[in-house]
Amino acid sequence: MAFHKINITINGGLEQVVVPSNMTLMQMLRENLALTGTKNGCSAGECGACTVLLNGEPVNSCMVLAVECDGTNIVTVEGLAGDQQLDPVQEAIIQSGGVQCGFCTPGILISARALLDRNPDPAEEEIREALVGNLCRCTGYVRIIESVKAAAKV
Amino acid sequence: MAEPKVENSTSPVGESKIRIDAREKVTGAAIYADDIQFGNSLLHARIKRSPHPHALIKKINSEKALALPGVKAIVTGQDFPGYIGLYLKDRFFFCRDRVRYVGDPVAGVVAVSEEIAEKALGLIEVEYEILEPVLDPEYGARPEAPLLHPDLGKYAVASFIFPQPGTNISNHFKIRKGDVNGAWEKCTAIVEHKYRIPHIQHVPIEPHIAIAKVDEAGEITLWGSSQSPFAQRNLIAQSLGISPGKMRVIAPYVGGGFGCKAGVSMESLAVAIAMKVKGRPVKLLLTREEEFFTAFVRQGLTAYFKMGCDENGRLLAMENTFYWDGGAYTEYGVNITRAAGYSSSGPYEVPNVKTDSYCVYTNHPVGGAMRGFGMPEIHAGLEQCIDELALRIGMDAVEFRKLNCLKTGSTLVTGSRMHATGLSQCIEKTAEAIGWGKKAPPSAPNKRRGKGMALMWKAPAMPPNAGSSAWVELAEDGTLNVGVGGQEIGQGVFTVAAQMAAAALGVAYESVRIAAPIDTRYSPYEWQTVASRLTWSMGNAIVNAAKDARKQILDIVAEAWDETPDDLNIVNGVVISYKSEKEIPLKNLVIYGLPKPGDQGWRGGPIIGRGSFMPTYVTGLDAETGQGERAVVHYTTGAQAVELEVDLDTGRIEIIKGVSTFDIGKAINPELVEAQMEGGFVQGMSSALFESLQLKDGVLRNPSFVDYRIATSSDIPKDLQSYIVEVPQDDGPWGARGIGEHSMVPTIPAIANAIYDAVGVRLEGPPFTAEKVYLAMLDAGIVK
Amino acid sequence: MILDTHPALPEFEYIRPANLAEASDFLAQHPDTARPFLGGTDVFVRMRDGFMKPEFLVDVKNLDGTNELRFDSRTGLTVGAAVNMNRVIASPDVQAHYPLLAEACRSVASYQLRTRATIVGNLCNASPAGDTIGACLVFGGVLHLHGVSGPRQEPLSGFFRGPGKTTLKPGDIVTAIHFPIPPNGCVGKYIKLGRNQLSDLSIVGVTALGHKDSTCSSGYRFRLALASVAPVPLMPAEVETYLANNPLTPDAINEAARLASQACSPIDDVRGGARYRRQMVRNLSVKALTEVWKKLD
Ligand SMILES: Cc1cc2nc3c(=O)[nH]c(=O)nc-3n(C[C@H](O)[C@H](O)[C@H](O)COP(=O)(O)OP(=O)(O)OC[C@H]3O[C@@H](n4cnc5c(N)ncnc54)[C@H](O)[C@@H]3O)c2cc1C
Ligand code: FES
Ligand code: FES
Repeated sequence: MAFHKINITINGGLEQVVVPSNMTLMQMLRENLALTGTKNGCSAGECGACTVLLNGEPVNSCMVLAVECDGTNIVTVEGLAGDQQLDPVQEAIIQSGGVQCGFCTPGILISARALLDRNPDPAEEEIREALVGNLCRCTGYVRIIESVKAAAKV
Repeated sequence: MAEPKVENSTSPVGESKIRIDAREKVTGAAIYADDIQFGNSLLHARIKRSPHPHALIKKINSEKALALPGVKAIVTGQDFPGYIGLYLKDRFFFCRDRVRYVGDPVAGVVAVSEEIAEKALGLIEVEYEILEPVLDPEYGARPEAPLLHPDLGKYAVASFIFPQPGTNISNHFKIRKGDVNGAWEKCTAIVEHKYRIPHIQHVPIEPHIAIAKVDEAGEITLWGSSQSPFAQRNLIAQSLGISPGKMRVIAPYVGGGFGCKAGVSMESLAVAIAMKVKGRPVKLLLTREEEFFTAFVRQGLTAYFKMGCDENGRLLAMENTFYWDGGAYTEYGVNITRAAGYSSSGPYEVPNVKTDSYCVYTNHPVGGAMRGFGMPEIHAGLEQCIDELALRIGMDAVEFRKLNCLKTGSTLVTGSRMHATGLSQCIEKTAEAIGWGKKAPPSAPNKRRGKGMALMWKAPAMPPNAGSSAWVELAEDGTLNVGVGGQEIGQGVFTVAAQMAAAALGVAYESVRIAAPIDTRYSPYEWQTVASRLTWSMGNAIVNAAKDARKQILDIVAEAWDETPDDLNIVNGVVISYKSEKEIPLKNLVIYGLPKPGDQGWRGGPIIGRGSFMPTYVTGLDAETGQGERAVVHYTTGAQAVELEVDLDTGRIEIIKGVSTFDIGKAINPELVEAQMEGGFVQGMSSALFESLQLKDGVLRNPSFVDYRIATSSDIPKDLQSYIVEVPQDDGPWGARGIGEHSMVPTIPAIANAIYDAVGVRLEGPPFTAEKVYLAMLDAGIVK
Repeated sequence: MILDTHPALPEFEYIRPANLAEASDFLAQHPDTARPFLGGTDVFVRMRDGFMKPEFLVDVKNLDGTNELRFDSRTGLTVGAAVNMNRVIASPDVQAHYPLLAEACRSVASYQLRTRATIVGNLCNASPAGDTIGACLVFGGVLHLHGVSGPRQEPLSGFFRGPGKTTLKPGDIVTAIHFPIPPNGCVGKYIKLGRNQLSDLSIVGVTALGHKDSTCSSGYRFRLALASVAPVPLMPAEVETYLANNPLTPDAINEAARLASQACSPIDDVRGGARYRRQMVRNLSVKALTEVWKKLD
C-alpha cells in the first residue's frame, strides 16, 4: 500500500504527515499527531464524536481519508480555544452543565461552532437539527441545546 | 452519621458547583483509555469469535495465522483454564470446549497492527459441532431444554445465589409472603398480564477498550475504560491464579458506562493475550459492532404479573414470575434476578406476595448490569398493571398509587420496614407538574394526546459488605487532594466528592483536586462504580477521611494555642478559634506543622486523613421465603409522568413533556441531580421508543448505529422538568441517597400508560415503535 | 456477516486521476478491483463491513467540472458529482427552483455527513432507501456520464436495476445530474418516515411533485416516487395516469394512494415490516399528494 506525504494546517499550524491510503483523518489526528481530543465512537459516520472542521465545515473525520486532506485547513477541539480564552460554546457548555462523561463533547462543540458560524442566531429547531449527528448517551441533550442558545447570545 | 458537624457558612454542599472535570473535557485535554500514548512498542489485538450460538469446538488451527508476518502470538482457551465471574464463576476467558453465543471469544491474535491482527483472524480455522441452541428463557427453564452448563453444580457461587444444577436455571429467587392463594378471593379486581422486555445495549459513546502489559516478573498492568478497577484486579488475578497484588488497574475517565463497564468483560482477553508477549502493551478496542453483540447486554425478560385489590383499591396480592434471559453466562445476571425478586412488589405495600424470579441460561449475548439493574424491566410491566387495576376498580391512577405506595414504616415485600421516604410527595409533585387530570387538545386532527405516570423504587444491588475508602491530604498551599477509588463515568462523582470533602474539612470547593486517574496501586479501595452507591457510600468514606484530617489539624492547632479543639473550626481553609478569635491558614501548617514557642522544636507534620465505610447491617434473606431483617441499605423512590401524542397516520409517538421527581435524601449538587434525571429520562425514553437488540436464531441483526437507533437531539421533549424531594437518609452523607440509575426506571411504563390514555392500546413490550403502535391501532380498529 | 466488521478501513490504493479520461481508463482496466468514490460515505461503510473489497479507490472529485453547481434559466440545473448535499441545500437557485431537492437532501443523515455525501453518490449507490433519488426522479433527472468512449447522457428513470445495481459499465463515471426547468408553478413534498425524528434511514419515503396542467382532464399532473418499498426506487405510472384522468377529490387521492401501495413490493427487514410499509405508502402518499394539491390551489 502506498504512502502519501501531505501538508495540512491543523489548529493554525502547518503539519507535514506521511499517511497510508487507508488512513482516515480521525486516525491521523489521533495516532500520528496525538490530537486525541477527537474521539472514535463508531468509525462509521454515525456518532459524531470524531467531528472536526475541514476548511470551516464540520465532517465526520472517520469518513474522510487523510490523503484527501492535503492542502486543507483542519480545526479540532484542541484548536477551539484562543490562547487565554475558551470559545463561547466551550464556556457555555460548562456553565449549562452540558458535559457528563465528555466523550461526545468535542464533536458537539465542533458542530455547535460550525452552526453558529453559518447561523449566528439559530432557533431551537435549527440547533436540534445541527446536532442530530452527534449522539450523546448521558445528558439527554437538554443542557447541550441550552448551551448553544447561550453561546449564540455572546 | 447524618450531618457532619461543620458550621461552615460557605459549605459547598447543596450548591450547584461547576463540574470539576468540565474544563478538561471541553478542551479535549481529558484523557480516556484510548488516548494514552504507548509509542512504538504497542501491539494490537483482535478476537476470533464464534459465529454459532451453541456448538462444541472440535479443533482450532492457527498455524496459518501465526505464519502471517507481523503476528506475534495467538491465544486460545487451552492456555487459560481458570473460571471468572462476579457472583457465579461460570465463564472462561476464552472458550475451551464449547461456544455459547454468537461472539463468544474463541481465540485472540496479537500483531503489530490492528489490520494484521484482523487479517490473521481470517486465517484461524475453527471446526465446530453445532448444537441445538436455547433462544428463549421460558423454554430454557424447562427440563427438556438442552443443558448449556453441565458443570453448573461445580461453579463457585456467592452465598445468596441459588443455582439449580442439572437445569439452565442459574438462580431462583423466591418471595413467599402472606397467603397469596387465599387473597385472590378477597380481591374485587384482578389483572393478569404477560410482558416481554427485549435485550438492549448500554451504548456508551466510548466503546470498550483495554490495554494490558505483563512484565518479565509477571506483574500485570491493565489500562481500561472501567467502572470496576478493583473488582477487575481481584477477579482477573483470581482467575489466573495469581495474587491480586500483582495486578494493577489504571482507569482514566470513562466515556459512559451505564453498567456495561462494570465487572470484568473484554479486559480479561487483553490480559490473557498480553501474557504471551511479555513487556509489550497490547491494545484491544472493540468496534462499535462488537460493542453491540459482545459487551454485556441488558437481559431480556419475560414477565407474568397477577395482582388484585379490594373494593377500596387497596392492593391485596401479587403473584409475579420472571424469566430472565441471562444469556450464555450469568455471572452478573444472577444478581439482577435477585434484585428483581426482592423488589418485585414495586414501591407498594402488598400483604400477600409470591414471586419466582429465574435467571436462565440461553444462547444469547451475556447479560450484565445496566442502569436500573432489573428495575426498568420489571417496572415496565408492573406499573402498567397498576394502571389497569386502578381502571378496573374505577379509581384515578394517581389516587390509586397514593393509596398503595410505600410510606415511612410500611412493611416491604421482604418483611422489613421502609425507612423515611418522600414517595408520596414525589407523586404529588409529578401529578401537579404534568397537569394530571387535565386533557389538552391534540396539536392536529390526526393526533391523539395522552398522559401517563409511573412510580419506581430501587435499592443499590450489591453484596452486603461492599465497601468504600478514601484519603485526603493537603499540599503546602492548603489545597486538598482527595483520593477515591470510585470512577468518574459522567455522573459527576468527582465533583460531588470534591464538594463533600471541601465541606467536611472546611476548605473552598475550588481548592480541591481529585487524585485521578484511578489506579489500584495508589487509589483507595472501592468495590465498584455501580448501583448508584458512590455519593452515599464513597461519600461517607470521604467525610470520614476529611473528619480524620480535620481532627489532626485541630489537635495540632489546639495544642499550639492551648485551646480545646471544640472551640476551633476550619472555615475556607483557615483555622479559627471562636474563643480567642485567633486564626491561621492551613497552608504550610498541614505539611510542616507548627513550631513550638522558643525554638523548642515542632509539632504536627504532614496531614493525611483516612476514612472508610461499609454497611454492616444488611442481613440475608430466607432462601424459601425471601423474608429477612434488612435486605438492602435503602431505596430511592420517585415518579415520572409524560404527555405525548400519537400520530394516527404513522403510529409515531412524540413525547411532548416529561416530568421526573425523585426523593434522593439530599442533593449535594442539585444541578448534577437534575442532569441525571434528564439524561435518565431520555435514556429511558429511548429504550421505550427505539431500542431492541434484534436477535434471530442467536444472531444480532442490528449491530450498529444504523439500525440500533438511540434518541438524538431531535427526539427529546421540548419540556423536560425535574424536581427534587429531600427526605434524608439516616446514614447518608448530609442525608444523601443515589439517583444515577433511578431516573430511567419508570419511563417505559409512564410512556406505555400515556399511549393507552391516548389511543387505548397496550403492547406486549417495548420498544413502542411507530410500526408496533400503528399495527396495534389497525388491529384494534382504531385506524383503517 | 456484518458482525465481522473491520476496526478501520482495510487496505487499498488511493488513486487520484488527472482527468476524466484517465479515470475512466483506469476504472475500465480494473473492472473488478477499482471503484470510483465521491464522499465515500457509502463506500467506506461497505468496505468496513466487508461487502466491498476494492483494491483501488479512484477519487473522482475535482475532475473537470464535477465541482460545479450551475443553474441556467433555459436549460435547468446541473449538479456536479462532487457537489456535496449541504451546498445543494444552501444554493439560492435550488431553493428558488427546486426546493424539493433541498428538502430531500436535508433529510439525509446529519449536517456533518452531508458535508461529504453527494447526490450522485446517493444515486450510484442505488439503495432503494436513497433519500434524494425520489426528487431526482420526479424532476426528470438526466445523468451526465463519462465512459471509455467519452461523455454521454442517460435518463435517470432507467438507471436502477436492483438494490445496489445500476446500468453503469466499467469505466463509467457519473459527472453530474442535470434537471430540466421544472413545470411552471410546481409544488413538491418529501415525507420521510424514519425511526428517529431526523437522521435515520427511511422506513418509507414518499416524494410527490405536482403542477397544474390543462392538457389533462383533471387539470393536474402529479408524479410520485417511493423509497424503501421495492428493490429499486419506484415511480408508479398508474398513480400519475389516474390523477391526470380523474377529477381531483379526496377520494381520488385515496384511490391514487391505494394504487401506489399496490405497486410496491416491500420486504420485512430490521427497519420495518412489509405490512406496515404498505400501509405507510398509502397514508403518506395521501398526505403528500394532499399537501401538494392544497398548495397548488
Ligand atoms: C452515517 C450515515 C448516514 C446515512 N444516512 C443516509 C440517509 O439518511 N439517506 C440516504 O439516502 N443515505 C444515507 N447514507 C448513505 C450515503 O451517505 C448516501 O448514499 C450518500 O449520498 C452517498 O454519497 P457519497 O458521495 O458519499 O458516495 P460514495 O460513497 O462516494 O459512493 C457511493 C457509490 O457510488 C459509486 N460512485 C461514486 N461516485 C461515482 C461516480 N462519479 N460515478 C459512478 N459511480 C460512483 C461508488 O462506487 C459507490 O458505489 C448514510 C451514510 C452514512 C455513513
Ligand atoms: S467515530 Fe466518526 S462518526 Fe462515530
Ligand atoms: S456526555 Fe457522555 S456521551 Fe455526551
